[in-house]
Amino acid sequence: MSKLIMRGVSKAYGATLALRRGDLTVEAGEVHVLIGSNGSGKSTLCKVLAGSVRPDNGEILIDGKPVTISGPHAARASGIGIFYQELSLAGHRTVAENICLPDMPGGIFVDRAALENRAQRYIALFDTVSGEGFAAEAVVENLRADQRQLVEIMKALATEAPITIFDEPTSALDRAQVDRFFEILRDLKAEGRSIIFISHRMDEIFAIGDRVTVIRDGETVGTENIADTNPGAVIRLMVGGQDELAPGASAPPATAATRNGAVLTVANFSGKGFANVGFEVAKGEILGFGGLHGQGQSAVLRAIFGANPSSGGALALSGSAFVPSDPRAAIRRGLAYVSGDRSRDGVISGRPILENVTPIHYLKQKLFLARPSALAERVKPALEALHTKFAGLGHPINSLSGGNQQKIVIARWLIDRPDVLLLDDPTKGIDLSAKADLFALIRKLAAEGMGIVLYSSEDAELLNNADRILVFNGGQVRRELTGADRTRYNLYQAAYEAA
Amino acid sequence: MTTTTQTQAAAPSPVLTFLKKPLLVALILIAALLLLGEALSPGFASGQQILRLLIVAALLGIVAAGQNLVILGGREGIDLSVGGVVSLSAIIGGNLMNGADAGILPAILGCIAAGAVIGLFNGLGVTLLRIPPLVMTLGMLGVLQGLLVVIRNGIPSGRAAPGLSQFVTQPFLLGLPGIIWLWVAIGLLLAFMLGRTVFGHRIYAIGSNEQAAFMAGVPVKRTRIALFMLSGAFAAVAGMCLIGYSGSSFANVGEQYMLPSIIAVVFGGTPLSGGKGGYTGTMAGAVLLVVLQSILTTVHIDESGRQMVFGATLLILMLFYGRGRAMRA
Repeated sequence: MSKLIMRGVSKAYGATLALRRGDLTVEAGEVHVLIGSNGSGKSTLCKVLAGSVRPDNGEILIDGKPVTISGPHAARASGIGIFYQELSLAGHRTVAENICLPDMPGGIFVDRAALENRAQRYIALFDTVSGEGFAAEAVVENLRADQRQLVEIMKALATEAPITIFDEPTSALDRAQVDRFFEILRDLKAEGRSIIFISHRMDEIFAIGDRVTVIRDGETVGTENIADTNPGAVIRLMVGGQDELAPGASAPPATAATRNGAVLTVANFSGKGFANVGFEVAKGEILGFGGLHGQGQSAVLRAIFGANPSSGGALALSGSAFVPSDPRAAIRRGLAYVSGDRSRDGVISGRPILENVTPIHYLKQKLFLARPSALAERVKPALEALHTKFAGLGHPINSLSGGNQQKIVIARWLIDRPDVLLLDDPTKGIDLSAKADLFALIRKLAAEGMGIVLYSSEDAELLNNADRILVFNGGQVRRELTGADRTRYNLYQAAYEAA
Repeated sequence: MTTTTQTQAAAPSPVLTFLKKPLLVALILIAALLLLGEALSPGFASGQQILRLLIVAALLGIVAAGQNLVILGGREGIDLSVGGVVSLSAIIGGNLMNGADAGILPAILGCIAAGAVIGLFNGLGVTLLRIPPLVMTLGMLGVLQGLLVVIRNGIPSGRAAPGLSQFVTQPFLLGLPGIIWLWVAIGLLLAFMLGRTVFGHRIYAIGSNEQAAFMAGVPVKRTRIALFMLSGAFAAVAGMCLIGYSGSSFANVGEQYMLPSIIAVVFGGTPLSGGKGGYTGTMAGAVLLVVLQSILTTVHIDESGRQMVFGATLLILMLFYGRGRAMRA
């Protein structure tokens, strides 16, 4: 009898079907790998299991008995433990306290001795690789990133759950730490425990996995024995029938002849979440950033714009050196940045549409007086070209739909044209017709000579719109896809390549 | 979802209706309170009496102008040090003038400079050291109160120049004293600044969404520091006018302005979360508070009772207008 069976699990967020038909069968004593591209639904499937998302349909059986996972607590009670990819540690508390946090020993008062004791068991497991300063009484925020990730792993292990989900548990670890972690996972397997393992490193998947389940477009498309397959076959399963050439690929790509001079040059660029990134953007080119979520694409764009700090590297705009300091300086030098997180980075909420469009113009023209009526005449054509629907420029921006709000935010860059437009997942959460309008505009801006960098978490958007694609993995550029190489297969292969 | 949100957009702007309402409410309340006062004590709403109320309201209104700007700038913006600045300015001004008209100009310049420097410290503490405005300006108030004790050493000092007293209390144009005209000028100036200058738009931008403003190239820190400096300068101007009104400065004259300046702003339709509102409503709020205070005095409620009423008024106002933050989400 299988330890865990999930059958026909589905989940819709509003009109978006995140998970259509998720199936997953995990045996006792196996490491089961879950794999799928951005937005395939694998994280939704995990969230269902962890109790943070309630499924619309489907059944879950543990040890053959149907269970309902109504919340994180119910998940724990059903024997499911989770390693959280994004750090969920209490920074001011000690290693021991964090390890035991899900299940504090003692009643009303914490039993310190039992706590230290239990934590010590898990700390001892990693004794040889945990490094200097790692101890039960060490305060978590004073630890290095890899050590904090070890605490996360220990915390997940300490739940001693029969089924444990590890969502990218090795991203910050070094080779020796990964090896030790895998030894421990093999011991757990031998005890009959089940591990669900998510990783974006194909070498790790093949080193530790017993079986692999592939999810594509919200559906489970297959489960294979690791021993009977190979990385290429797994990627082909992820790609499915979608590996036809991208439509734009037949058109002549931006060749060296048309790439008349780089508008943006980036060399050895490093910062939080990325290292040694280098690339050039030519006038009129759309350069795509691809790969799995959070591999440094967004961090690079924000650092170029000066919104996030960078630690080293050389940047140049049309050949002259540029040191990012803050967005203000970047805007003056001809950079533009559009964030996918509209409500945080873009929309000046509660203010009129016009006031949301004008700040860049005021800054670039060094104006003292606001000139609403004069500007309105220049703003309207830009908004109409984007098919923006609005009742009047004096109405608050909040009265618009998400897609129209994003168009307003983009329009603020169109009054005085920038040389380089950085697009950071700009279509997140906007409707299809708005997306189409947006990409038509981007194409047009490129044709008029703007250099464009496009990061999109939707692979189809990248394949259809980018002239070249840089695939990010672990904060570094792993591969450059040009011309006919711009296929889903190549994109996934580079995204899952060994770091 | 697209269609429903767009039909809403066709209706009159909710921001405008929201702005207009508090102003209207304040004006109606002012009229009602004046009628009530007249009924309680005939002569309350006489021309002479209303003029006196307006002078007192102008003093409060000028302090509230700075308070208004700081609150508009958002991020929990508030200036609790205004009372201390008013007191300090009254002392500096009184000593620089010392009863002579020739001292008026140096006094004005000296007071505004002192207020702006105090505001600069507030602004630097809030932006560079990231101290919450509440804590920063409360600490500054403590420092100023200590400073006042040191400077005065317990002895009242300084006298208003006759010219200044005349400006504040005697008719200047159309039967209204100069301070009323000054207040009107400040009102027009702020309306122009907030509505028509890039600086004004930046204040609303950082008050509405600081991160988005930063990403759109707004100099967030510099703008916020300027707001605190303006608040200090306006409180200093009020302090100067106050000594013209009372003749000489006495212990902690400015203390009474802290809470009312905040209430006037909230009454005028600027939520404490910032990002929307303006100064016109605040002016009405200042008049309303002064009329209310006068009525309380008329019915023999002493200072402690008036303080309680003011405190309760602010809390009640928060019930009605305090939801600004939640509505933004």
